[in-house]
Amino acid sequence: MMHKKTPLTWRKITENRLFFPLVALFLILLFDFIFIPGFFAIENRDGNLYGSLIDIMRNGSTVSLLAIGMTLVIATGGIDLSVGAVMAISASVAGILMNPSALKSEVFFVTDPTYTFQPLWIVIGVALIVALFCGMWNGFLVAFMKIQPMVATLVLMIAGRGIAQLITNGLRVQITYKPFSYIGQGWIILPFSLYIVVFVLIVTSLLTRKTAFGLFIESVGINFRSSFFSGIKEKNIKFTVYALCGLCAGIAGLVACSNVKTSDANNIGLFNELDAILAVVIGGTSMSGGRFSLVASIVGALVMQAVTQSMYALGVPPFALQAIKAVVVIIVIMLFSEQFKGFVRNLGAKKKEVKP
Amino acid sequence: MIRRISNFISNNRRFIPLSATALLAIIAYGLGAIFFVGMRNPQVFLNLFRNSSYLLISAVGMTLVIISGGIDLSVSGIVVLTTVVSAALLQNNWNPWVVILFVLVMGMSLGAIMGSFIVYLKVQPFIATLAGMWFGRGLSFFISDNAINIDDRTFKIIGQTRILIPGLKELADRQGIPAPYISIPVLVAFLVFLVAFYLAHFTRFGRTIYAIGGNQQSARLMGLPVNRTLLQVYTFNGFCSAMAGLAFALFVSSGHGFYAPGFELDVIASVVIGGTLLSGGSGYVVGTLFGVMVLAISQALIQFIGSLSSWWTKIVIGVLMLSFIGVQALLANRKVGIKALDAQAVRQNRKKFALGFSAVVILVILAILITPKLGLFSPSSTTETQQCEVKPFRKDEAASLIEGGAVIAYHRLAGPNCVDEMYAIYPDGLVLGDNGERQLEKMVTPVDVELLLKTITEDYKWYGNEIRDSYHVPCRQCFAHYVIVAHDDKVKGTTAVDGGVNMPPEYGFTLSVIRPLLPEFNLSP
Amino acid sequence: MSTANDYILRMERICKAFPGVQALENVDFTLKKGEIHCLVGENGAGKSTLIKVLTGVDKPESGRIILDGEEIQARSPQHAQALGISTVYQEINLCANLTVAENILIGREPLKFHSIDWKEMNAAAIEILHRLLDIDIDVTKPLSSYTVAIQQMVAIARALDITSAKILILDEPTSSLDANETQLLFKVMRKLKVDGVGIIFITHFIGQVYEISDRITVLRNGILVGTFETDTLPRVELIAKMIGRSLADLDEMSSIKLESSKRIAIDAILKAKSLGRAGSIKPFDLELHSREVLGLAGLLGSGRTETAKILFGADKPDTGQIEFNGKSVTDFSPLGAIKRGIALCPEDRKAEGIVDDLTVRENIILAVQANKGWFRYLSTQEQYEIADTYIKMLNIATPTADQPLKNLSGGNQQKVILARWLATNPQVLILDEPTRGIDVGTKAEIQKLVLKLAEEGMACLFISSELEEVLRTSHRIAVLREREKVAEYSGEVDENTIMHAIAGSEI
Repeated sequence: MMHKKTPLTWRKITENRLFFPLVALFLILLFDFIFIPGFFAIENRDGNLYGSLIDIMRNGSTVSLLAIGMTLVIATGGIDLSVGAVMAISASVAGILMNPSALKSEVFFVTDPTYTFQPLWIVIGVALIVALFCGMWNGFLVAFMKIQPMVATLVLMIAGRGIAQLITNGLRVQITYKPFSYIGQGWIILPFSLYIVVFVLIVTSLLTRKTAFGLFIESVGINFRSSFFSGIKEKNIKFTVYALCGLCAGIAGLVACSNVKTSDANNIGLFNELDAILAVVIGGTSMSGGRFSLVASIVGALVMQAVTQSMYALGVPPFALQAIKAVVVIIVIMLFSEQFKGFVRNLGAKKKEVKP
Repeated sequence: MIRRISNFISNNRRFIPLSATALLAIIAYGLGAIFFVGMRNPQVFLNLFRNSSYLLISAVGMTLVIISGGIDLSVSGIVVLTTVVSAALLQNNWNPWVVILFVLVMGMSLGAIMGSFIVYLKVQPFIATLAGMWFGRGLSFFISDNAINIDDRTFKIIGQTRILIPGLKELADRQGIPAPYISIPVLVAFLVFLVAFYLAHFTRFGRTIYAIGGNQQSARLMGLPVNRTLLQVYTFNGFCSAMAGLAFALFVSSGHGFYAPGFELDVIASVVIGGTLLSGGSGYVVGTLFGVMVLAISQALIQFIGSLSSWWTKIVIGVLMLSFIGVQALLANRKVGIKALDAQAVRQNRKKFALGFSAVVILVILAILITPKLGLFSPSSTTETQQCEVKPFRKDEAASLIEGGAVIAYHRLAGPNCVDEMYAIYPDGLVLGDNGERQLEKMVTPVDVELLLKTITEDYKWYGNEIRDSYHVPCRQCFAHYVIVAHDDKVKGTTAVDGGVNMPPEYGFTLSVIRPLLPEFNLSP
Repeated sequence: MSTANDYILRMERICKAFPGVQALENVDFTLKKGEIHCLVGENGAGKSTLIKVLTGVDKPESGRIILDGEEIQARSPQHAQALGISTVYQEINLCANLTVAENILIGREPLKFHSIDWKEMNAAAIEILHRLLDIDIDVTKPLSSYTVAIQQMVAIARALDITSAKILILDEPTSSLDANETQLLFKVMRKLKVDGVGIIFITHFIGQVYEISDRITVLRNGILVGTFETDTLPRVELIAKMIGRSLADLDEMSSIKLESSKRIAIDAILKAKSLGRAGSIKPFDLELHSREVLGLAGLLGSGRTETAKILFGADKPDTGQIEFNGKSVTDFSPLGAIKRGIALCPEDRKAEGIVDDLTVRENIILAVQANKGWFRYLSTQEQYEIADTYIKMLNIATPTADQPLKNLSGGNQQKVILARWLATNPQVLILDEPTRGIDVGTKAEIQKLVLKLAEEGMACLFISSELEEVLRTSHRIAVLREREKVAEYSGEVDENTIMHAIAGSEI
């Protein structure tokens, strides 16, 4: 049968899911190249690379992690608003397990970098298990109780921060345990958090593409009744994607809190859920569900981060940046509308004779 | 007799969520009054409204949006933008009434723009209004990084006028307690509430909103002006957000881009708890009034308990929302033409679940009230009486301390006890502290000061790029800091907040080495 | 005698084509004032297309419409309404969360000092319901608290009140009504008839057609079969016109059938005993044998799809039990069915079959993969092999196996769904309307395929509304009528007998 590679036409290129996100990224980097001198400079210090580009990847690692889990959830036609709160919960758990003395005294700064209450593997393991449970809770509400995803995850979004604060008794726990800080701040040629992102990306890709899981997710997102009749257990699929999303949020929470060396229940992950959703949308996955691409979502996250970074470099006041993000979002949405996409595709097509 | 009651209930089934919330509010307040003497003071009841007037205004507008089947996440952005714009304009000596008019028009325009995106560009409301929120907050920062004070007389008068309630005044005088009062924003809130009520039940606009929320496609087929109505709903909500912003600005007497984080969630929670379905088509503005009260009462209860910290509010609200949503999910799903047999069975199950959930909710409230009395929670350090109004940093004052010879000036705000402390460290070892009520002195050695400066400037690289401003609204337990360090002809002042995601770690270490040198005001119990 | 002035509506030589299919070919239709005219035909006959052309949803390629003496072309449903053509669809296009009065009057509510006058509105609604339909209900209750029957009345009241309607179109109004509610609707229709409104009544319930209508128009495959006075058309003849006469054919198919019938397995592979589900299908007994094709005949709404779903296992029965290969069935779910070896090619391929954004290959292997679970993923090589096998076997027209399914024509989509189920190597294959919307040539292909599959060992249940293909393909035929199995015949049955069974009349 005809499985030979069809010629690489303009149409084929533009139909690839990665096209538009990559174009977006390219445009932003082009803008940076023209208007911001030194943006592309990369220094090599003691064998490690530093520079704005590296910063984009490093600072974008939390949102990239969230975007991986969020892509799967959105691909089933759902949404998860609680990921920011889950980040805070996992950070709080990690913080408490490393430094429970912070609960009792006013001394916030434990300065001994080798001190930790529990060994690292317990700290990370328990935090991730708790995050997994949060995801499973969401999955239960959506898949089995049939509550609308937006509403179901909204509950954890509100209550979750309260729970995170409950865990640390409202105090933000200082984290000085050096090996833990490595997660967010370590460097092996490239920042360590990058490797974490790549690792999670690879594992998730294998899980979704080397097993039937990815196919089922897409099928459920496109038409869940047809999927049901074909024997797919869509409840299980939905439950699992929310659980995975919670787990990714847990990992992102650990990276975030190791970055700032505290577990601040109020601020960790604040608004990150919105960034994650946007990264997925920019990456081209439709919010009504269906085909997804993990790599495209990460490109989307990088686009968001590149915009952020460029604005910092231009001297835009840090929090004013949100206004720029809002404009970017609207532009992206309009670019992604079907009319515009069709217009671009037809640019490469030869003009055909119109039949009378 | 019983049959008549059950008939009455099933005929008026649509009022059940509303009644449930009202009942909840009454029970909660009643229980509170039983357990806490303080709550029996009528002023406490009136304060519920004073403190949540801006929430009510915004929630009322949001109710209409949600009934129409949409959602508006931009409310906190517009609120915040309103506070900053009004503060900035007032600082530039604009006429206060013109300012009020201006921001209301601004709110309506933003609402209209978002509405156009939703209706004509077919952007999902979630995303369009999310962009609106970011835009609003971001724009406030373009205007000003720091909080701007509102000193205008008119605003102060509007914000602080006490309106006495006829009837209660005489009662209070007789008992010798101060007369209970409410404020102007409360009156405005009720006015907005009445307007929304009228719109929802007595205008074609309102009924069209309900129709659109019930079945947008049918509404179109029935010839209703769907697009125009949706546009108007979002514009109205923009107006309400701006009005809420004004009320909030009056409350805190300043404007800042960091205010009201997560406000939209409180607003949505009030609407949901008030019985409005998030899927649209059903809900009452009156219900939202009760929803706001439930939120306000929860907050008050938690304050009165004292030993629970404020994040419990969030958990309680989350649980309440979940219960209401759960019950909604079960009572909804009413398919047209459901066969009699199935309908009966479903009704039985629904009744059971509804009862179950109500029981859970009541248990939660009781638990929160009772457990502290059992001493299960170790008292944390605070009894907060109200949200700490974080004032702007007095940077000029700090700068003048430096000019007067200090090498370090340190202004500390907020924290569990809502402090406002200014410290100065001099090269000869003198350390001064002033918290507005007292002034303290402490002597350390000049060598200590030398070492301090060396550590801060060399080890922690105070003058490097890593140390930069990272201020945002502090959490309840957190402090906000502003430190100026003068050394080697270099002077640099930087803001930060405890545990901020953006706070440079070296800043934290700087604080830790400054702290031991400071005199203590001994405020913590 | 009827003169030209009696006709309120004349549709002449209407043609409408969609990509790949001619939906209407030179169809004529007339409607008199004060007449109830039934439009009948099986699925795909063209009834809904004709109505869409009349109400302005679709534009015809040719033909003209004359309403009350004037030629018209409705631009949209609203425009049609303004012209006097009111339509009430099966899905009630009202807002169930509003009250009855509001649904009737929204957009035109009576105002007092610019506010809605509720008292006035309620009174007006009561008056309208009474005057137009002669019914009285509490107009202050939400629409959702009433049954579908009443909701339909309200929809009719609104439609009639907006503009004094000349024509009322009722599209399958009785599908969700019980006997009493249907009578209520008929009472209203008779009143409207007296008032001079012309009513077009689309239904698949033959009994109702005879009860209420004055004339009947029959469509089949986009062609007008004829328009008849109800009194003069015997029921059996109506059925014949709707679903076609069986051709006395002696082609190869019937000889294959004869041959293969000798090899039908004696023991039933699937036994249903008193199997029933409230509201769907009354308890019935049925047996399926390997190497046999069992046909299921009956009109739309007789319960065929419900039977298919319950035998497959997608719906749980309320009474009775199913035995498969001697063992009682307990796992009622699609996956359970696949594991047992039962396959169902569903009737509504758009809602229950197609996953349109996935490719042809992915659609074909979907059920096989669901059976294997998450972790035993078919390799790409295996997937292409399976896909290719079936693309060839069923002659599916697609440039590559990687085409998204939505790009294929309806007929080819149906083949892909069929391929999906064949790929699971089932022992029992249930086909619900497998040839709907497929061109004639392919129809014959599929019918031959079914017989071939049976010969190779499968037990097939073949459901179709085209009687001729049921007769051509089946060894045995069961007949359903109004959600009840009423008869069972051998495949050599006389077609008249079957039609009578379907129609429910005596021979």
